[in-house]
Amino acid sequence: MSTDERNTTGGSPTAASTTPKPYWIGLGLMVMGAVWLYNAFGLPQGARYAAVGPGLFVTVAGGALLVLGALLMVQIWRGETFEAQDAEDADGATKMDKRAFLTALVAVALPIVTMGPLGMPFTATLSFVLVANAFGSRRWYLDLVYGAVLASGSWFLFNQLGLQLGRFFPPLGV
Amino acid sequence: MKLSKTLAALTMTAVLGTGAAMAQVNVMLPANPGGGWDSLGRQAFQAMNDAGIYTGGVNFTNTGGAGGTVGLAEFLGTSSGQPDALAVFGAITVGAIALNNSPINLAEFRPVARMTAEYLVIAVAADSPYNTLAELVEGIKADPGAAALGGGSAGGVDHISLALLAQAGDIPVADLNYIPQTSGAETVTAIVNGTLVAGVSGTSEFAQFAEQGRIKLLAVTSAERRPNLPDVPTFKEAGYDVEIANWRGILAAPGAPDDNYAMWVDNFTKLSQSDAWKKVLEAQGWEDYFLAGEEFGAFIAEETERQGQILKDAGLVN
Amino acid sequence: MGTFELLLHGFGVALQPTNLMWALVGSVLGTAIGILPGIGPALTIALLLPVTTALAPTSAFIMFAGILYGAMYGGSTTSILLNTPGEAGSMMTALEGNKMARAGRGAAALATAAIGSFVAGTIATLCLTFAAPAVAELAFYFKPTDYFAITALAFCSVAVVMGTSRTRGFISLFLGIAIGVIGIDSMTGQARLTFGNMQLLRGIALTVVLVSLFAVGEILYVASRYRSTPGVMAPIKGQLWMTRQDFARSWKPWLRGTAIGFPMGALPGSGSEIPTMLSYTLERKLTKYPEEFGKGAIEGVAGPEAANNAAAAGILVPLLTLGLPTSATAAVLLAAFQNYGLQPGPFLFTSNPALIWGLIASLYVGNVMLLVLNLPLVGIWVQLLRIPRPQLYAGILVFAMIGVWGLAGSWVDLTIMLVVGLAGYIMRVYDFPIAPVLIGLILGPMAETQLRTALAAGQGNPMVLVSTPLSAILITLAVLLLALPILLKRLRATA
Repeated sequence: MSTDERNTTGGSPTAASTTPKPYWIGLGLMVMGAVWLYNAFGLPQGARYAAVGPGLFVTVAGGALLVLGALLMVQIWRGETFEAQDAEDADGATKMDKRAFLTALVAVALPIVTMGPLGMPFTATLSFVLVANAFGSRRWYLDLVYGAVLASGSWFLFNQLGLQLGRFFPPLGV
Repeated sequence: MKLSKTLAALTMTAVLGTGAAMAQVNVMLPANPGGGWDSLGRQAFQAMNDAGIYTGGVNFTNTGGAGGTVGLAEFLGTSSGQPDALAVFGAITVGAIALNNSPINLAEFRPVARMTAEYLVIAVAADSPYNTLAELVEGIKADPGAAALGGGSAGGVDHISLALLAQAGDIPVADLNYIPQTSGAETVTAIVNGTLVAGVSGTSEFAQFAEQGRIKLLAVTSAERRPNLPDVPTFKEAGYDVEIANWRGILAAPGAPDDNYAMWVDNFTKLSQSDAWKKVLEAQGWEDYFLAGEEFGAFIAEETERQGQILKDAGLVN
Repeated sequence: MGTFELLLHGFGVALQPTNLMWALVGSVLGTAIGILPGIGPALTIALLLPVTTALAPTSAFIMFAGILYGAMYGGSTTSILLNTPGEAGSMMTALEGNKMARAGRGAAALATAAIGSFVAGTIATLCLTFAAPAVAELAFYFKPTDYFAITALAFCSVAVVMGTSRTRGFISLFLGIAIGVIGIDSMTGQARLTFGNMQLLRGIALTVVLVSLFAVGEILYVASRYRSTPGVMAPIKGQLWMTRQDFARSWKPWLRGTAIGFPMGALPGSGSEIPTMLSYTLERKLTKYPEEFGKGAIEGVAGPEAANNAAAAGILVPLLTLGLPTSATAAVLLAAFQNYGLQPGPFLFTSNPALIWGLIASLYVGNVMLLVLNLPLVGIWVQLLRIPRPQLYAGILVFAMIGVWGLAGSWVDLTIMLVVGLAGYIMRVYDFPIAPVLIGLILGPMAETQLRTALAAGQGNPMVLVSTPLSAILITLAVLLLALPILLKRLRATA
């Protein structure tokens, strides 16, 4: 932890990473708003007595996202700046490390595929190694041991408490 | 004495823990832990174990949501054709399937046993001008919109009981101003604070608030008066031919082998006669509503028909 | 027998060695559970129900009380140290508490949380002992329009208070509301935005979004811009303990948090989220150090933590005195009572005083126990921050994963974790505030249900929304909050 004042929301004024014109965020919000609005058209807007039906909040949320997305694009065009938030271990001003980001992303995505067929302890161990690697740990064999101990230990503890974490290692049926 | 109880609890924990590892029967509980379906499944197998009917391992899965249809859909996918896979479900599932356009067809599953029921009561605030069911029905008929009615989820048994009452009282079902509440407790508060003119919920949820003098119980949906509510008339006595219960039961996987299916029908039949189960019924305040095998299948088909029709009349299903 | 005498009898029950042991088991279990994201006291008690049938009811409920309070303590620890709130009630704690921990003041944050929880828990238990019947009646007075007015005010204040710009505050808020409408519409049973997926029918679980936005988003973000600066890691900087100034700044928020949390906990549906949000907003408005908010203001930890624990005691009030469960945890506790063939309510006080008063006394005991357990542990917990960063972040992901998977064992939830985690990453890169998303997600469905209930009961007449004094006042405040800054700007421009 350094002693500077970087850990603030909004970043330091000197941060040079002012992102140039992220129009796609505004566009993304508008697309999302359009999907919600489209869905709302299939829902009754009114109800017999309540005057408002199941479609109202969907319409409001979709409409608001559409308008706010457009507003954001206007603001970007007018020169609104976006500074990455600084965190304790992260520096908003540094360039994005693509390899580390993708490694961490794989660690987060992995469970979707392996959690069911290979079980929680195996998946968690693998994700542990990947995240540690993304953060620059190079002794993967040690991480493998740490991860395996943490994952199996939590599996036993929380399984005892009755949580449904599935089998320990499904391919072997245990 | 105290120590032995402690030890018993600890062994029980260990048994439950190891039980999951060497499970022989998979039971789908299509609700979150703590609710009625969850307790039915867990208590039934506990009692079976205590009575020595079935002492093997049990592996429970809780998958809640949408009146049990989410859990049953998953059960259909993972357990079809498996010998020892069971699921808990109930009256609410029947309505939810119709309401959510769920692809589930209850007739595909193999009906094991109907186990319990809870009857419904209709209540008004203690200071309400209505003192009998007939007065309430007349009041609703005069201005259906002004008489906000409440109970459990839309299309659930509470809603259906009110729809049946409306039909019996010559009120167009679609005119009812039904406002679903998230729990029996919310229904009580809404009746007391005047948001609802009348509300429906299970007898156990309303009885004590009537004893506290906050609400008046007008009628109960059983065929005969309940022993614990001797002063509350049935719908029939009040002049409306409505009988409905919130029942809960057990299904086996579609395509389960005949031998295994017969064994489970037999196990649950034995369970329903055991003392261990009688104790559970008493502790939980559940009514015995046992019906097994194909007869239960016929009952499910009947309920599907009846609830589907009433939901159509209410304008909830096309 | 007077209340005081009954309470003394209760202590006689609670202080028996076996019951003390169960209180300890519950406190430890609750703390452990609170640390795991997504696994709150409701689920734990529900899962323990079948196991505890072998116990005497008094012992079981004493253990449950320990779990209830312990989970609150445990939740604050992970929020502060790891920025991973375990449940919605400790979300606000993460906002300021984690900033404090990162500034090397983790011990002070944990201490003010623990002492604040103790103070709030004790005062709330006192109120429970002596004022329960009066507070319990509150549940019957608030109408749907009052609840709707509360949520409307919360929306307006949140979007205005948080974030670098109003546009971004509102974008976050509406993202949350948009996620909140997914699933079955509770009023009509219609599926909304489920795209034909069965699992989406039950909606997107709050805990999945909470864990993904805070923990997963943070992991992705820090990984992409990791600044490894060995040797500067300092879990404790300056004084290890709360300073005199920390105390001076904490005690009022503790009391205010208690005053908000206890009565609100007794109301149906408000749970621990709304009181903690209100307490945070209040402290932010009242503080003498507004510049510190968002950077680690101790008031922002002290208030919400006190409100959180007071609300936990608040839910017991209508449950014990009326048999009315006002939250998921209370509903599970009610099921536990019924498991033993007991019906909570006024009759239980006369029919089984040993159980009720033993339970109430054990709340005092449990609070002391948790304080004694937690204060010395603060030093140890803070050492968690000494774990090398790669393994620390990897461990956070493992716990996040267990929390999400343990909910329902569904790959759909894991996919949501990925998508929302990515959204959390983008929000950090482009500086969108995180908290309004969750507030929209929590309060959106509540606002919708209450609005539609109020309108249906009032046959569609919009005037029903301001038909009670409370709702009229709150709605006016909300409108003012939105309109005032604009009006002031106009006035200044013309002046």
